[in-house]
Amino acid sequence: MNNITGKAWVFGDDINTDLIYPQICYTLPEAEKPFHAMEANRPGWATLVEAGDIIIGGKNFGTGSSRPAADNLKKLGISCIIAESVNGLFLRNAVNTGIMAIEASGVHDAVDEGDTITVDLENCKITDMVNKRSVAFMGLPPFLMEIIENGGIINVLRAKGLLGKPL
Amino acid sequence: MNIVEKILLNHSTEPVKTISPGDIATVGVDRAIIVDMAALHPEFVDNPPLRPFDPDKVSLVFDHYVPAPSIEIANRVNRLRKLVSRWGIRDFFDTGRGGISHVLGGELGWFKPGSLIANTDSHTIATGAFNTLGRGLGTPELMNIIATGKTWFMVGETLKAELSGSIRNGSSAKDVFFHIASVTGDIPGKNIEFAGTGIKTLGMDERSAISTMCAELSAEFAVFPVDDILRNYMDSAGVGDYRAIAPDRDAEYFDEIHIDMESVEPMVAMPDRIINNVKPVSELGRVNVDVAVVGSCANGRLSDIRDVAEVLRGKKINRNVRLTVTPASRKVYMEAERLGYLSTIIEANGLVTNPTCGACLGGHMGVVGDGDTVISSTTRNFKGRMGSSRASIYIASARTVAISALYGYIKGDLNE
Repeated sequence: MNNITGKAWVFGDDINTDLIYPQICYTLPEAEKPFHAMEANRPGWATLVEAGDIIIGGKNFGTGSSRPAADNLKKLGISCIIAESVNGLFLRNAVNTGIMAIEASGVHDAVDEGDTITVDLENCKITDMVNKRSVAFMGLPPFLMEIIENGGIINVLRAKGLLGKPL
Repeated sequence: MNIVEKILLNHSTEPVKTISPGDIATVGVDRAIIVDMAALHPEFVDNPPLRPFDPDKVSLVFDHYVPAPSIEIANRVNRLRKLVSRWGIRDFFDTGRGGISHVLGGELGWFKPGSLIANTDSHTIATGAFNTLGRGLGTPELMNIIATGKTWFMVGETLKAELSGSIRNGSSAKDVFFHIASVTGDIPGKNIEFAGTGIKTLGMDERSAISTMCAELSAEFAVFPVDDILRNYMDSAGVGDYRAIAPDRDAEYFDEIHIDMESVEPMVAMPDRIINNVKPVSELGRVNVDVAVVGSCANGRLSDIRDVAEVLRGKKINRNVRLTVTPASRKVYMEAERLGYLSTIIEANGLVTNPTCGACLGGHMGVVGDGDTVISSTTRNFKGRMGSSRASIYIASARTVAISALYGYIKGDLNE
């Protein structure tokens, strides 16, 4: 997988799934859902996101429900989520929808909002290209990277012939 | 090994002899539960798994949107119903038949001690009351599990929580949980194992309330040991073929906490989060409420409805409060009706709804509006959780919710 580069948006601790994917999203048309991300804690933010942007979070990013919060960020154009810690269920949902979610201790203070960030996947290093600060991270296990590289678990299951006709 | 590690080892699909923190455990699941929310995930209804790994180990439970609150949702769940014949699912619980999956599963004996349950919903950790590992996994992972019968867990360290004494009068298991939360903070990626002499004073409703709420600590698993209370419960559910799991003598825990349940007074979680945000009701000061809700997998159980009825018997709730009471399952609903709890609540001007997750997720049956102050026995109080992001949601026990509905402001039993 290639390195990821994008502009940073910095969020705090405990950004939860209900902020990322508010209840009303469930019944909205697919194209509208992403624009409701973070509307309760950061109104208007979703409209400012450009394709490839990166989210920097604090502790326990994505805590809460099993709703497709990671998928909503992916569809908004976010290329990668990097946080002090990532909630286990959110991490699973991120991998399964094909978006990188990385835990990197110290990243929240190292990165300034608006700076361009590079994620070096081979050397497991995140660098703020403006202030030049870097932090290391622990890579995901290979079997999870493989799911991400395939664009998510649905693609993996489809390739194995395990999915059926629409209901 | 501790209980979590032993149950994972027993379900491992790899030839491993032990499981410890840091391992990735690949496991086979005993049951996969799909809830109606899957209908709202296009990737599921557009590409459902071709066939389940074992149709008798897959349950379909309608609980979040019961009955369907809009044409859109009615149409989507109609698509989901087609799975029943396509896959040959035996355990299908449609509107009017079952209840909230985490409560229904206990009633039906699905959560056999020592077993491993997968469910899309994040409160699946509720199964821990039954010495069962359960984890909410999201819809895409459930698709993988249904297709293959397998999933994986990154094994976390385990906290031992030693419970002593018994819950004091006027307090409840919810208050004990809030006290635990105030001691532990959140523990993402980690597990909790309960132990101690206090457990025998807790019925299955109380244990379930505590294990369910551990989802709010971001715990992976929260599991109770097996004792006579659980064995008798399984006997009454007609389930005998299980392999209960106790911790080894040399089981390892990353920390141990001691909770004296006797000392816990009624507690409340203030709006927007539970972690680092709870206090005794007696220290809250006056907070007037507009909406009171009793329900959910945590606290819409029979003992909760009983507590509400005891508080409200022969009285009327405050004229400024709208009270909604939502039994967690058909069985709870019927028992509460038979025991006269529902008529007591209705006579007090409370609204009793059919079983559903309902107001807890802000989907229907009690959606709250801008400026509403809510006291609720449900599970989660994130901003916007129950409707408007401009509502303030306080979480407490069913008893505290009922007392607050009576007085019009948040009030706990020891405060009178």
